[in-house]
Amino acid sequence: MLRIYQRLWQVTWAEQWQYRANLIMYLLYWLVSPVVYLAVWSAIAEAQGSVNGLTANDFATYYLTLLIVDQLTSEITIHAFGYKVQDGSLSGELIRPAHPLLTNTLVYNLAFKALSLLGLVPVWAVLFALFQPDYGTVTLANLLLALLAIGLGFGISFLLGAALTCVAFWTTRVWALYELYAGVTVLFSGQFVPLSLMPPAIQTAAQFLPFQMFKYVPVQIILGRLTWPEVLGYYALGLAWLAAAWLLFRWVWSAGLKRYSAVGA
Amino acid sequence: MPVLRLIKAYLRVNLQMALAYRAEAVVHIAVNLMWLGWELLSLTIIFNNTATLGGWGPGELVALLGVFRLVNTLMAAVIWPNTEYFNTSVRDGSLDYMLLLPVNSLFVVTFSRLTLWRLWEPILAVILIAAGLGLSGAGAAPLNLAAFLVLVLAGAVILYSLWIALIAFTFWFTKFDNNVTILQALLDTGRYPATVYPTWLRVIVTFIVPIALATTVPLQALRGELSGPQVALFLGISLLSLWVATQIWRRGVRRYNGASS
Repeated sequence: MLRIYQRLWQVTWAEQWQYRANLIMYLLYWLVSPVVYLAVWSAIAEAQGSVNGLTANDFATYYLTLLIVDQLTSEITIHAFGYKVQDGSLSGELIRPAHPLLTNTLVYNLAFKALSLLGLVPVWAVLFALFQPDYGTVTLANLLLALLAIGLGFGISFLLGAALTCVAFWTTRVWALYELYAGVTVLFSGQFVPLSLMPPAIQTAAQFLPFQMFKYVPVQIILGRLTWPEVLGYYALGLAWLAAAWLLFRWVWSAGLKRYSAVGA
Repeated sequence: MPVLRLIKAYLRVNLQMALAYRAEAVVHIAVNLMWLGWELLSLTIIFNNTATLGGWGPGELVALLGVFRLVNTLMAAVIWPNTEYFNTSVRDGSLDYMLLLPVNSLFVVTFSRLTLWRLWEPILAVILIAAGLGLSGAGAAPLNLAAFLVLVLAGAVILYSLWIALIAFTFWFTKFDNNVTILQALLDTGRYPATVYPTWLRVIVTFIVPIALATTVPLQALRGELSGPQVALFLGISLLSLWVATQIWRRGVRRYNGASS
């Protein structure tokens, strides 16, 4: 099994390496919105001293950490897999003795992540020099704790994204559904603003939803803004959602596969 | 007028294409309204925590959101579909047929594809602008309103010119098919007044990829912050950029020698 992943990694990496120019453009595209929010909120915090207890430096560390965490927990399964259901190229993968989504698509996601992190490093360094955040509260222990939360976050986001992509077995409009999902994620994950600034109703809902594991929780752990019991509580929540996402994915996959009949000659 | 007949023909073709994807259009409109909700929520959160953003009140930011959405529609309904079509036609050589038509090639390349179901977006944008103006309570002076309208057009012309220049570069660098991503990427900066950004970002969105000229600057005119000569200057810049862009386009077309052997 390990050898399958190893080989897939080599192939996928080589494949994606060709598109590195596109990747830079993608990075730029994806980077602008957090940087704009950072600029806006730092301006407000500087004018007033602080916003709801958050200083300009708190915003700088929040959004700059978010850039890295977001890259680590996000998934692109719909890009990598959606079309295979529609054009029938899934058939070739189905006859292999390994799960198409849990091997090929997973490795595709990971290779993309590794490559875009590589591209992010210089950009992040420039942003660091421009905003000069003070990362004094970060400790090694926090980083290690966050690693587990990031792992949970990616696990959940990958499985939910995969389950959603499997809706392609039923309808060709899976993209619109995905955009709706992306909208919900943005609202409850802390992408716009730290969740503590959101209206109370959204904050309460976010406490029970898995989306804060994608961004807000790992960022808060890294920045040392959570207590031990809080961290453990989030781990429990993350594990519960990981299990739920796994069951959902298994169910949608097997039901969808029964409906699948390849198109084309 | 051949151009009018051409516009009519394009509209008919595009209408037929739009009608083929009715359900998609409905879903897209729903998703778009969702994003509008998020945008307004962001503004609410901002103004729950501050009275003004860089001296601008909530009404003015709603109006800015309207202008931003106008630019966004220009991007999504005109620039993207035509760029995709253009890139394909350079690669497979079908650009030849567009260039052979007895009309302005620039017009054919930039306006033959229009995403018509997005027509409701400019209407929504105008409503946002009007509502924002009402909310700010200022009731803009007629002269400022006129300057605003002129500068919205001037801003659109500047972005259009930049787009022409970007796609014309494809004639020199054939592999340059990411040509408008840079424009799209920086578009998000148009949601907020460029005056609140740090200097480096302001320089980028004013001089390098001038999104701010199409969003922040018209709003500044509406607030009465720009003098007559400044409005004239921006108008002059837009005409100049259009002229430069057409020159680049002409040079590019002269270089072009088809994709076939």
